[in-house]
Amino acid sequence: MSGSGGTEAGRFHAWRAAVRIARRDAWRYKGRSALVLAMIALPIMGVSAADITVRSSELTKQQQVTRDIGAADARLGSGGMGHRPLVQSPVNEEALPADQKQDESEQARDEADSDVDPRTAIPAGARWITDQSTYARIRTRSGLLDTSVRELKADDPIAAGIVDLDRGRFPRSPDEMIATQALLKSSGLHVDSLVRVRGFDRAYRIVGAYDLPSELGVEELTALPGAFIAGYTSAMKAAGSAYEGQNGPPSYLVSLPGGYSWPMVMHANSLGVVVESREVRLHPPARADVPFYRVAKTSTGVVQTGVQKAETVAAPVTVGALAILEVCLLAGPAFAVGARRSRRQLGLVGANGGDRRHIRAIVLSGGLVIGVVAAVTGTLLGLALTALLRGWLEEYVGKRFGGLALRPLELAAIAGLAVLTGLLAAVVPAVNASRQSVLSSLTGRRGVRHAGRVMPVIGLGAVCLGTGIAVFGSTRTDSVMVVGLGSGVAELGVVALTPVLVGAFGRFGRWLPTAPRLALRDAVRNRGRTAPAVAAVLAAVAGSVAVATYAASQDRQDHDAYTARAPRGVYAVSSGSDGGRELGAVRAAVEKHFPVSGRADVSRLVYGPRTCEPHSYQSGCGGFELQVPTANQCPSERVDDPTQLSLAERRSFATDWRCAYGGGQVAMDTEGDVTVGGPAVLHALGIRDGAAERALARGETVLFDRRYDDHGSLRLRLITDMAKQQTDDRTPSGEVRTVPVHVAGERTPYGLVAVMPRQAALAAGFRTVPFGSYYTTSRMPSGAQQQALAGALANFGSDAETYLEKGYQSKNHLVLLALSIFAGLVTVGAAGIATGLAQADAEPDLKTLAAIGAAPGVRRRLSGFQCGLIAAMGVVLGSLAGVLPAIGLRRAQLREEWSTYHTAVDNGWGRADSLPHVPIVVPWGTLVLLMLAVPLGATLLAAAVTRARPQLTRRADG
Amino acid sequence: MSSTSTPSDQPGPGDRPRVPAQGSPSRPSAQSAPTASASPSAARSGPEPVLRLEELTRVHGSGATEVHALRGIDLDVFPGELVAVMGPSGSGKSTLLTIAGGLDLPTSGRVVVEGTDLSAASRKELAALRRRSIGYVFQDYNLIPALTAAENVALPRELDGVSTRRARKEALAALEEMGLGHLADRFPDEMSGGQQQRVAIARALVGDRRLVLADEPTGALDSETGEAVLALLRTRCDAGAAGVLVTHEPRFAAWADRVVFLRDGSVVDMTLRSSAESLLTGGAAS
Ligand SMILES: Nc1ncnc2c1ncn2[C@@H]1O[C@H](COP(=O)(O)OP(=O)(O)OP(=O)(O)O)[C@@H](O)[C@H]1O
Ligand SMILES: [Mg+2]
Repeated sequence: MSGSGGTEAGRFHAWRAAVRIARRDAWRYKGRSALVLAMIALPIMGVSAADITVRSSELTKQQQVTRDIGAADARLGSGGMGHRPLVQSPVNEEALPADQKQDESEQARDEADSDVDPRTAIPAGARWITDQSTYARIRTRSGLLDTSVRELKADDPIAAGIVDLDRGRFPRSPDEMIATQALLKSSGLHVDSLVRVRGFDRAYRIVGAYDLPSELGVEELTALPGAFIAGYTSAMKAAGSAYEGQNGPPSYLVSLPGGYSWPMVMHANSLGVVVESREVRLHPPARADVPFYRVAKTSTGVVQTGVQKAETVAAPVTVGALAILEVCLLAGPAFAVGARRSRRQLGLVGANGGDRRHIRAIVLSGGLVIGVVAAVTGTLLGLALTALLRGWLEEYVGKRFGGLALRPLELAAIAGLAVLTGLLAAVVPAVNASRQSVLSSLTGRRGVRHAGRVMPVIGLGAVCLGTGIAVFGSTRTDSVMVVGLGSGVAELGVVALTPVLVGAFGRFGRWLPTAPRLALRDAVRNRGRTAPAVAAVLAAVAGSVAVATYAASQDRQDHDAYTARAPRGVYAVSSGSDGGRELGAVRAAVEKHFPVSGRADVSRLVYGPRTCEPHSYQSGCGGFELQVPTANQCPSERVDDPTQLSLAERRSFATDWRCAYGGGQVAMDTEGDVTVGGPAVLHALGIRDGAAERALARGETVLFDRRYDDHGSLRLRLITDMAKQQTDDRTPSGEVRTVPVHVAGERTPYGLVAVMPRQAALAAGFRTVPFGSYYTTSRMPSGAQQQALAGALANFGSDAETYLEKGYQSKNHLVLLALSIFAGLVTVGAAGIATGLAQADAEPDLKTLAAIGAAPGVRRRLSGFQCGLIAAMGVVLGSLAGVLPAIGLRRAQLREEWSTYHTAVDNGWGRADSLPHVPIVVPWGTLVLLMLAVPLGATLLAAAVTRARPQLTRRADG
Repeated sequence: MSSTSTPSDQPGPGDRPRVPAQGSPSRPSAQSAPTASASPSAARSGPEPVLRLEELTRVHGSGATEVHALRGIDLDVFPGELVAVMGPSGSGKSTLLTIAGGLDLPTSGRVVVEGTDLSAASRKELAALRRRSIGYVFQDYNLIPALTAAENVALPRELDGVSTRRARKEALAALEEMGLGHLADRFPDEMSGGQQQRVAIARALVGDRRLVLADEPTGALDSETGEAVLALLRTRCDAGAAGVLVTHEPRFAAWADRVVFLRDGSVVDMTLRSSAESLLTGGAAS
C-alpha cells in the first residue's frame, strides 16, 4: 500500500492537517491551553531575560574603552617599576619588566626605583588632563565610611564618557564634589549636603550625583584636580596617621590627533610608562609585534581545566533538564485529558483513514502548537521584562548596558526549548491515544486500559542501576559526582515507576471511609493522569528534600565547626587609636546602652612609644615575637621537606600535640594574642580555674598554649623597629625577655595564647597601654540596643573595634523555608491540575451522581480528597526519594574528607585537631511540614475552589 | 443541483420510492442479485462487488459472557447499489458495518473490499483502505468540530498526503456537487444536524471512495431532514457508489435497492426494494 501518504510531501500534508486540528482545539479549550502555556512560557521568559541581560552587559570594545578613558586617545600611567623599561599587554595594562635579570648596582637601583613621570611619554602637541585617586574616611550618618576620592575634571571634553552625571552639576570650585549614587545610598548623604573627612578640617559640598557606568556599586567622590589630595595628604602626614601615602600616582588622559599607536605605546613602555590606548584596544597589534607575550610565556596564567569547564556547564544543564522534566510532568496530564476528551474526534479521524501515526501527530501537534506559542510569548515577555526592568537589572549586575543586545541564535535556542518541552509533554499522551482502537474511541467504551509494561521495567532497571551506582559511590569510592549521578538515575527510575507505585497505594483503600476511598479508586484506576501529577510532585519534593537534608547536615557541620570568640553574650570592645584615650567615652557608651553585668579591662603589650598603634609597621615602633622552644616545635617544621622523613614519622604528627596549632579567632586583636589583665579576664571568659587565678595574683603569666612553655617560662624576642623588620624581612635577632608562666589546663580558649598580669609585663620591660574591655551581659543585647550603641560610637567618630558573641548563627533557616515553600507550591499546583483534570474526566459520573440525588457536598469532598491524595502520594514518595540520595552524598563526602585527611597525614601535614566530621541530619521539620501540612492544604484548597453544582455544558462536542 | 432537494419538498410517501428512470449503467445487480440470494457464485457473472462478505461470524467475549453478534453472514454489494440493513436492537447491524469497514475483525469468514481481503491486511493497510475506499457515516457527531465543512471533507485526502490546496479543491467540488457549497466554511456547530449528516456523506465519498457505510445516519434527525439525507445517499449510489445503510425506519429502507433483515446475527430475509415496499406497507397495515 504505497501512496502519496508515505512520501515526504505526503507526510507534511498530513502534519498540516494535524496541526490545524490541534491549533483550533487549543483555541477552543482556552483555559487548559493557557495553563499549559503559562507553565512552559514562564521559565522561557526567565531564561531569555537572563540571556538578554548577560549579553547586554557585555560591552563592545569601543564602549568599554570609552567608559575607561572617556573621549581621550590614551591613558598613561606609571608601570610601578620606576624608570626600568617594561613590556605591556595590548589587551589590558598588565606589565612585566622587559629585562628579567636584576643585577644592578645599589645606586642604579635607587635611581631606577624613583617614580617615573608618565608625562615624559606624552608627545608634543597633545592635550591632557590628570586623573588621580586616594582613600579617605568620611563621616556619615551612621559612622565612618572608607571611600575613594578622585581628582578629575569630569566635565572636560577629554573625560566625556567616564562619569555619567545623574543629577546636579559638575564641581566648579575647589570646595565642591560630586558623589556616586552608591556612596549617597550607603552614607545617607545627598546632593547639597556637606562631606567631612576624618582627620581633615575642610568640608566639601556635594553638588551632583553620578555613576561610573561599568561599576555602579563603587563608592566614590570626585573633586577638581588639586582640590583634595594634596591638602589631605599633608594633613595626614602631620598627624602621623597610617593613611599617608595611600594615593596612587596620577594617570594622564591624553587627547592626541591621530591616536596613540602601538609603536608609541612601546616607546612609552621603554620609559617605564604603561598606556591604555584606544587605537591599540580597537585594533590590537599582531602577536609577533608584542614583546609582552614572549616575556609572559614564562609566567603562567590560570587556565581552566577540562573538568572545571565540564562542571560549570553540567550544573546549569542539569537544572535546565530537571526544569524541563518538571514542566513535562506537569503539562503531560493536560494533554492526556485533552486527548481523552477528544476521543470521538480522534476516532473519527481513525474512521476516515487516519492511522496511528496521524493520531499521534494530532496529539503531538497540541504540544507543538502550545510550545510554539509559549516560545514566542516567553521570548517576547523576556524581552519586555528586560526592557522594563533595565534600570534595576543594571544595578543588579553593577553595569550600565551598552544597549539591549539580542542574540537571535541564542534566543532561538531558548525558544526551541519551549517547543521541545511542549512536544515532550505530549509524547506519552500521544502514544497512548494512538494505541486506542478506533472502535472504542468512537463508541466511548472505556475498555480495559492496560498500563504500559515497558516503562515500569525501565524504571525498575534505572532504580536498581542508579542505587547500585550510588551505593558503590558512597561505599567504595569517595566521589560525590558518582553518588550524584547514581541518585539522579535512580530518581528518574522512580518517576518512571510512579504508575506502579500509585497502584500499590490502592491497597490502602479498604480501610478508608467512602469519599477518600472513591477518590483513591479513581486515582488508581486512572493512573494515566494520576501518575504524571504524582511524578511531578515527587520530582519537586525529592529535589527539595535532598537539598534540605544536605543543607541541614551542612548546617550541623558548620555549627560543630564554629569557634566562638568568647562565651555567648560577651561583648568585647577595643580601640587602638590615640593610645587608648578614647576608651573612657567608649566604655561609658557601652555601659549606657547594654545590659552589662560585669567588665574586665585589658591592656596590650607595647614595646616602644605608647602612640604606636596595634600591629603598626611605623618606624620607631617596636614589637615582639613569642618563641617556641626547639623541643616543642612540630618535627615537620624542623625539616625543609617532610618527604625526607619516614612514613611512620610523618603519620605520627597527626597525634603529636606539638603539631596541633592552637586555633580560633580572638575577640580582641592584640599582638601575639597575649592579653594584659587580671583574674577578671578569666571570669569574663568563663574560665573557672583557681590555680590560674592564683598564679595571676602571684604575678605569673597564665599560658594556654603549652607549646610556648620553656621550663616554666615564656620567651619573647624583642623587635626594635617594625618598619625595618618589615623591609629587611629577616628572622628577628633582638634581645629575648622571659616571664614566668603557669600552664593552664585549658587549651587556647577563644584563641587566647596568654594572659599576662601588668606587673609581669612591666618587669619584662614592656609598656602596657589600655586597649579595651570584655563585658558580660545579663541577657543578649537586643537589635535595638546594638544599633543604639553603634550610633553612639559613630557619633563621636570612634574607630573602636567591637565584637558581640552571638553564638552560631544558622544561615540555613531561610533556605529550608524557601525549599519547603517551593516544594509545597509545586505540590499544590500539580495536585490541583491533576484534580481539575480528574473532575473534567469524571464530569459525566458526577452528573450521574447529582442526578441520582447525591448531596452537592459529595462533589467537593471528592475533589478535595483527590487533590490531597495526589499530594500525599507524591510527597511521601518524594521524601523517600530525596532523603536517601542526600545521605549517600554526605557519606561520599565523608569518605572524600577521610581520604584527603589520610593523604595529609601521610605527607606529614596531619594535625590532631582536624579529624573529618560530616554529620547527617534529617530535616524533620521540613519533612513533617511537607508530609502533613501540604496534603492537608491541598485537600482544603481543592474542596474550597470546587463548584458544588455541576456546570451545564453541551455534551461531548469532540 | 438536480433533483436532490425534491424529496423533502414533496411530501407523501407514495412519491418517494421512485426509481430513477435511467438508472446508471452500473446498476444491473439490482435485478440479478435477489434470486441468487446474494451467493458469491451467482454474483461472479456480473461486475465485481465493491463489498463482499463471506461466512462472516463475530463472537464478542468468551465463556459465560459469549455473544454471537454475527453468525455466518454472506452479502455482496455492487456499484450503484444501496443495501438497507434492518433488524431489532442487538441483532448485529452495527457489528456488521464495523467489520465491513475494517474497524473490527471478524471471528471467522472473509471481508473483501474492492478486491482487498481485509483479514489479511495490516493495520496500516486498513487505515489506507479507509482513506481511499471506505466512507463512514454515523448516527451523529460525524464531523470533527475543529474543522470547517470543507476541511472535514478534505481530511481523508490530506491524511492520504494530497496537498492541502488540491484536497480543498476536491472537497469544494464534492460539496458543490451535492448542493452543499454554501456550507463549505462553516464549522460543525454552525450547521444543523441534517446539514452535518450530508457533509458527512460528502466526506464519505470524496476522492475515489465508492463504499459508504451508514449506521443510522438519520437516527438523530426528524423525518423530513432524514429524507433529504437519504435522497442524497440515493443519488450518490445512482452515480455509481455502493452503500450499506442501517436503519430502523421502514420508510427510509424503502430508498434501498435491497433490504437485509437480521435477527440474532443471522440474515432472516432479503428482499428486492419493490417487494420490500409491499412487504413493509403490508406489515404496517396488518
Ligand atoms: N464490544 C462488545 N463487547 C461485547 N458485546 C458486544 C460488543 N459490541 C456489541 N456487542 C453485542 O453484540 C450484539 C450486537 O450488537 P450491535 O451493536 O451490532 O447491535 P445493533 O444491531 O447495532 O443494535 P442497535 O440497533 O441497538 O444499535 C449485541 O448483543 C451486543 O450486546
Ligand atoms: Mg447499532
